[in-house]
Amino acid sequence: MTETQKKTRLLRKTSKTFLWISFLLMVVSTIALYFYVRNLLQGEVEEELRSTEARVERSISKNNPIYQLPPMVEVKTVASLGMEKLKDTVIFDPSQNEMEEFRELTTFSAINGKNYRITVRALIVESEDILIAVIVSYLIIILLVFIFLFYLNKARNQRLWHPFFTNLEAMKGFSLASEKSIELLESDILEFSELNNEITTLTDKVRTDYKNLKQYTEDVSHEMQTPLAIIQAKIENIINGDHLNDMQFGQLTSIQKDIQRLTQMNKRLTLLTKIENQQFTNPELLDLNDIAKQRIDTFSEIYPSNIKVIERGRMHIKMDAYLADVLIDNLLSNALKHSVDQESISVEIGDQEFSVSNKGSQKLQNPEKLFSRFYRESDHKKSTGLGLAIVKKICDLYDFEQNYNFKNGKHIFKITNKNG
Amino acid sequence: MKILIAEDEIELQKSMAVYLERDGNICETASDFEEACYKVDLYEYDMLILDINLITGSGLDVLKLLKKDKKDTATIIISANNSLDDKLEGLDLGADDYLTKPFHLAELNSRIKAVLRRGKFGGTERIEFNEISIDTRSRAAYVNKKPITLTRKEYDLLLFFVTNKGRVLSKEIIAEHLWGDHSDLADNYDFVYVHINNLRKKLTDAGAKYIKTAYGSGYKFMED
Repeated sequence: MTETQKKTRLLRKTSKTFLWISFLLMVVSTIALYFYVRNLLQGEVEEELRSTEARVERSISKNNPIYQLPPMVEVKTVASLGMEKLKDTVIFDPSQNEMEEFRELTTFSAINGKNYRITVRALIVESEDILIAVIVSYLIIILLVFIFLFYLNKARNQRLWHPFFTNLEAMKGFSLASEKSIELLESDILEFSELNNEITTLTDKVRTDYKNLKQYTEDVSHEMQTPLAIIQAKIENIINGDHLNDMQFGQLTSIQKDIQRLTQMNKRLTLLTKIENQQFTNPELLDLNDIAKQRIDTFSEIYPSNIKVIERGRMHIKMDAYLADVLIDNLLSNALKHSVDQESISVEIGDQEFSVSNKGSQKLQNPEKLFSRFYRESDHKKSTGLGLAIVKKICDLYDFEQNYNFKNGKHIFKITNKNG
Repeated sequence: MKILIAEDEIELQKSMAVYLERDGNICETASDFEEACYKVDLYEYDMLILDINLITGSGLDVLKLLKKDKKDTATIIISANNSLDDKLEGLDLGADDYLTKPFHLAELNSRIKAVLRRGKFGGTERIEFNEISIDTRSRAAYVNKKPITLTRKEYDLLLFFVTNKGRVLSKEIIAEHLWGDHSDLADNYDFVYVHINNLRKKLTDAGAKYIKTAYGSGYKFMED
């Protein structure tokens, strides 16, 4: 189980806690009430029994005829006095014509020189009925109260946390690239208000930093062009001047090569920034099969390679035509640069996916870094390390999925159109 | 040919002038917006090389001025900005080509000639160099009036050599001219070597030996 699966929603959590506490309280209070009421009722019954017994005793002492009312009152003369006894008993009740549970008080007393055993009884059923009635009504009331409280509580919590949830959604939707500042719901709760302030400050700062960084990349790339142009122009004039030897020429052309690398890097960084700035706003419906074949033709002119095309379907895609070229070029040039032998590059096109594969000796060590800027798996000196970063940016822009796989000794880069 | 170079970076301006003057062109320079406007307004040029970001104004405004005066000056815009919008705006305003910095002077030179070849500047679509003749409209090349069969890249290469005759061209410059952004693909420029060799062989077979090796690894198109 992962961390996220364990997470509970805030409102659910508070509701759950409330339910547990309510349940516990209900059980404990019901038990307590049960014993308390039972005791009370027992005391009542006992008092009643004693008062009946006292009346019987008084009646005997006044020499009245001995009062009998079985099974409620029974008086017997006995030989000796015994211990007073209070107990529950089950005896036959002729009036009900069945066995009934009674509370029974047996006392012994010597009245006018005679020993009597006086037994008084009371029906327990009655007090038990009362007990049940009390407990049940208590349970109903408390249950109703809890249900009411539960919903009240929930509604209140929902209202209370409303700004929090709204702002959370706003934060989820926050995009660094967006020009708009994050819009948060104001709250009269101090903590929420403070949280809002902190979030606004933080996101504004992050946005400014991001913008500055982007501007910086843009400026650096831009400002580098002119000095590079000057260097390049001067080298060309030196080459065309006299008094050069072969070694100097070699060094000068090597400088030209490095300038070209810088230029390429600049162009790619600028392209990345442009994609990030969403400056490509002319999507059109393109036939990727045609574009791919056309790009492969161009590549074949530059590079003596044999690129196989396997068409399983036709990929129609809505995107900027220039970016489509860039996407395919970068994938192809990546394959060409890193293929063990230049012969085994193949391009596969399906209805919703496009993949380029080239032979490789082993799986890449850090496939997760593959699409980040300036990551180079090998010390390939001609690589700017930006080609696949551009691929990823383009995929992000159009919501395509890019992935890398190593299968059967082949590096496979696949682009999937998720919208199709 | 009279060329005005409107570029605020003096070093770049000077380098371009030096390169272009070797072909016998007369180069004048303008180092800021006002000077460019002044010169464009006052004098006649065959070619204007215009930086978009002139220090005190936009090169595009110079272009507008030029078009308002209805002057028949070919214009190539050079800009540090590689954006399509700038390019389109420049071309819409009547510029004939657009080059992004940094560029090779040989590339600039070949673009200048390509622009001037277009009919509207009274140029000819036929380029002659001794017994070699190139028809840029039909993209065909002849040696001693006999056609030679060239691949597309070989034709481009020949045209590049002829327009930059007498210059030393390194493989880097050639690769970038022929393949643009994709020229960084290969580890070395052996593929350039293959194309040059093929072209050289075809020309030599037809009796035109002009592609010379310079400094071991560069090339020069010239007479003996």
